Amino acid sequence: MTKYDGFNYDRDREIYSAARVRALESLLIEKGIISGETVDKVLNYFETEMGPFNGAKIVAKAWTDPKFKAQLLKDCNAAVSNIGLPVGMSGAEGEHMKVVENTAEVHNIVICTLCSCYPWPTLGLPPYWFKDPTFRARAAREPRAVLTEFGVDLPAETTISLWDSSAQIRWFVLPKRPEGTEGMSEEELAALVTPEAMMGVALVPSPSAA
Amino acid sequence: MQLKFEHFAATSLMGSEESPPRNNGELKFARDWEGLAFGMALALAKKGHYEWEDFRQELIASIDEWESKHDRDDPSWDYYQRWQIALERLAIESELIDEAELEKRTAEIINCKHDEK
Repeated sequence: MTKYDGFNYDRDREIYSAARVRALESLLIEKGIISGETVDKVLNYFETEMGPFNGAKIVAKAWTDPKFKAQLLKDCNAAVSNIGLPVGMSGAEGEHMKVVENTAEVHNIVICTLCSCYPWPTLGLPPYWFKDPTFRARAAREPRAVLTEFGVDLPAETTISLWDSSAQIRWFVLPKRPEGTEGMSEEELAALVTPEAMMGVALVPSPSAA
Repeated sequence: MQLKFEHFAATSLMGSEESPPRNNGELKFARDWEGLAFGMALALAKKGHYEWEDFRQELIASIDEWESKHDRDDPSWDYYQRWQIALERLAIESELIDEAELEKRTAEIINCKHDEK
């Protein structure tokens, strides 16, 4: 393959943007406006306190601990506050969380007609389509067709239930535990759970199918 | 009831063109400096150097500026480049830094990097 060096625009632009950001940081630190840790602290919040890993942990625990699961379905907040998740989880946004369980009989989907009701501390940042009015309207009108587009084919006898999150109640779905996961640890199980599965627009795939 | 600032700030960006790229519910930073730019913008507002809404408006303006000169599907679109421009403009407007020193420091960093090669 011939190497063409004539056009370096992207690379140069890349070096330039990176340098501008680092220059700004170094000036702000020098002036005492921020410290070296300030930015890490902010990012850390998104990486460790608020995110889909919280929801995945809850799901994995519910799969392996029947007592926890029973409590979770009955009183999500009480159950969650007992397993050592960050304070934010049972605070402002987690306050009115409720869990619905997917079974062979019922498949649940969570939608949100208003914008502010996504349970972020549990599910992370919402995907772009979640707030799309078309998605919401279609999910309400033809949930089975929407699920098929997401790659979820359910048996005809499975009922589909729709849950509209609101400022009062934020729903999330406890997905079905996939086949072939017997003997897996909570951590291994949590790694299989995606935000989409906790919204009910995906199934948790069996690890053997992957 | 108290909402964490980080939570509030990220929420305010969702559902429109100024939403940051994300993957599986998490923020997606393709390059180190993107996370740095994101974190600095939030941190400065959190510490009260400007209102978060001012940053949001600056970001919207920076995106509009790009869109007025490019097609929507132009491959040179780069969300965090617009973010970086918004951030440095606001840092200058808020008199946290001045433009000349930013230019100077940028040049130093670029040159220093080149020296290392």
